[in-house]
Amino acid sequence: MKLPVNLLIGAVLVALVIGAAALSLVWTPQDFTVMNVRNKFAAPDTIHWLGTDQLGRDLASQLMAGARNSMAVALAAVLLGGSIGTALGLLAAAIGGWVEDLVMRIADIGFAFPALLFAIMLAAVFGPSLTNAVLAIAFINIPVFARVARAAANQVWTREYVAAARAAGLDRFAISRDHILPNIAAPVIVQATIEFAVAILAEAALSYLGLGAQPPSPTWGRMLSEAQTLMYQAPQLAIYPGLCIVAAVMGFGLLGDGLRDVTDPRLVRER
Amino acid sequence: MILDVRNVTRRYRLPRRALLQPPPVLVAVDNASLSIDRGQTLGIVGESGSGKSTLARMVMAFERPDQGTIRFDGHDLNALSTAELRRLRQRFQMVFQDPYGSLDPRRTVGWSIAEPLRVMGAPDTARRVDEALDHVGLRAADAGKYPHEFSGGQRQRIAIARAIVTRPALLVADEAVSALDVSVQAQILNLLMDLQDELGLAMLFISHDLAVVASICDHLMVMQHGKTLESGPAHQVLAAPSHPYTRSLLTAAGAAA
Amino acid sequence: MFELDRFSVAFGSATALRQASLTIRPGDRLGVVGESGSGKTMLALSLMGMAPEAAQVSGRLLIDGKDMSAATEADWQRLRARKVAMIFQEPMSALNPLRRVGDTVADPLRIHLGMDRAAARAQALDLFREVGIPDPEARLRQFPHEMSGGQRQRVLIALALACDPALLIADEPTTALDANVKLRITDLLVRLAEQRGMALLFISHDLASVARATQDIMVMYGGDIVERGPTAEVLHDPAHPYTRGLLGARPDPAPQQRDAAGRRPRLPTIPGTVPALHALAAGCRFSGRCPVERPDCATVKPAMRAFGTRSAACHALEVPA
Repeated sequence: MKLPVNLLIGAVLVALVIGAAALSLVWTPQDFTVMNVRNKFAAPDTIHWLGTDQLGRDLASQLMAGARNSMAVALAAVLLGGSIGTALGLLAAAIGGWVEDLVMRIADIGFAFPALLFAIMLAAVFGPSLTNAVLAIAFINIPVFARVARAAANQVWTREYVAAARAAGLDRFAISRDHILPNIAAPVIVQATIEFAVAILAEAALSYLGLGAQPPSPTWGRMLSEAQTLMYQAPQLAIYPGLCIVAAVMGFGLLGDGLRDVTDPRLVRER
Repeated sequence: MILDVRNVTRRYRLPRRALLQPPPVLVAVDNASLSIDRGQTLGIVGESGSGKSTLARMVMAFERPDQGTIRFDGHDLNALSTAELRRLRQRFQMVFQDPYGSLDPRRTVGWSIAEPLRVMGAPDTARRVDEALDHVGLRAADAGKYPHEFSGGQRQRIAIARAIVTRPALLVADEAVSALDVSVQAQILNLLMDLQDELGLAMLFISHDLAVVASICDHLMVMQHGKTLESGPAHQVLAAPSHPYTRSLLTAAGAAA
Repeated sequence: MFELDRFSVAFGSATALRQASLTIRPGDRLGVVGESGSGKTMLALSLMGMAPEAAQVSGRLLIDGKDMSAATEADWQRLRARKVAMIFQEPMSALNPLRRVGDTVADPLRIHLGMDRAAARAQALDLFREVGIPDPEARLRQFPHEMSGGQRQRVLIALALACDPALLIADEPTTALDANVKLRITDLLVRLAEQRGMALLFISHDLASVARATQDIMVMYGGDIVERGPTAEVLHDPAHPYTRGLLGARPDPAPQQRDAAGRRPRLPTIPGTVPALHALAAGCRFSGRCPVERPDCATVKPAMRAFGTRSAACHALEVPA
């Protein structure tokens, strides 16, 4: 089978971002916390590959560490929101009736609620932190996954092997665990990949507003925010983290689209 | 008597046509009664919309009747607690129409066949799966394979193995051979007859095809639009059908002979 | 007139249709029976120029004497609907659910025959009358989901007839229908073929429908045509061991009583299962399952041999000289 182009480009971009994030755990070109004010705004050279920032910190190393933080926030948020949302979707499909209606109407409200507003509220009450950023992004993911999971689960519930499992004496929860979940994994994973891109962007936005990670831990959003006042003096300080965000968001977005293309037989047939 | 269905009615409310009128009601099964003795087969013949599948779903306790009672081996299925019903389920099992849809594509054949045993917490699962596979003419090694590795007829054998692994007293077969090629259909019908002889199974055999039902049933019931048109010993109904609809089914099935 | 001459369709080592030769003349009603993997659908698709692109095709297809081996997709598009049309098993999925059935039937009239809207609509109405749709004027404005399965199949037949094809291919046209409707649709196809002088290729695994619809029959197994002849004769006295097995396996609506020991008579069966296409024997495709098999059956392909009005491809066949 020929792999779609978006899948290939997405996979390469994602591999680069994840590779950089993973590498930063054990090695960065320089220690990104070391300040050297005499060497601020240095031009790229063999020591500082992308130069230094306004405090003389190594830019390339900060970007790598930022990748790690972005990935960690996005992963935690999507895992958390995805599990809760998928569980709710499975529950709604398994029970049906008013329970399903209730879960889905709550999901609708969740959709209608601006995510950034929720994050700002959270930060206002509990103070800005990486954990609160994760919680806020996870929260906006819950209705997305609840919908995808419920729609896919309702389809699987009509299959005869589910009826066979009922005949075998399994209850609704056992059927959801043994048959529904494995058979809706593909669309849920595809959605997770796409939501990963959204989460990276959301994390960048929250950090930019100062509601995410706090200094000194670098994130792309905060680097962007700090670079803002220096736009004319040193535009590269904003351009590099901006490019990283674009690459990561595009990478996961394309990967998700590509995965959907290869896993959804209806789309394959149309091509 | 293993199954006794008395005056069962099932209605469905259809979507409302107009805002202020009550929603129309479809009577899917209208006052149906039937009974099956141990080791005997009752055939229900009827077309889509005749109510035969709804009746099967009620016998399997997937749905509750609006009126009437369904007794399996003396137990009123709709008076049992959830736990009691779950325990009783191992004694009445079902074979479905679609050999491609009735097995979970992500589970091995052995896993699927063992499913009812796991629910019961039965010991010796592996040996009983092997036995069931042997009963339906498959090999023990097939337990490790996935459904897509089998043909339609073989999958229907697997579905039958899952249905008999708990040694049930009643097997409900809803259009169990309808999706199969003619020569495969004959093999599966013979297999069901063999299993009935070996295990003393009672069968509720449902099909739209009168010729298929005629080959396997002791008693016959003809349904149309939820109503029972006629029922009785199969040889009587087939030799002297009392209802014109039954006669037209005979014409449609008999033109090949 | 359609002629296939040693026509084969293969996917690598898997041969879906092997050296099929046949002629369909105007007014012929030819039945094709066989089970899954027999090649009957591939035969139909080949006649429509719709064999899958991945397939290797050999042999010749002549339509009105013209060799189609060099025909492009554009050539075929000019022939489809006008020369050869097809109806399918599942009438629901073959109709666009968002279009009124009258528009669906009028479309090819406007596209292929260049009729204007009013003329196409009048013609669609005539077609609805011809295929026996009651209250045709009201029906034209309905959507597929508002009709019964039998009515939808009639719409599809009207659609297939729109451009007055010389050959109508019906692939399992009655399989999804209830018994009474099945009879009426079968009879309708026969009447239309007779009235229009149209050839009918009736593909089905349902022997009752084929017996009712056709004059001649072709039995296929594993991509081969194994037997052909007048329908009544072949069904009454099958010559090929596969045809005999297939007819025997079909249950009979006569009552079957249990014997004294309580045993019920078993149906005659063909042993084994149809092998996958790439695993079929090089000789007779039926070897390995055949009750009258000879040593060379698995390796030597039996030729089609004629006897009287009939012919069959079997080494064990006794052909009266």
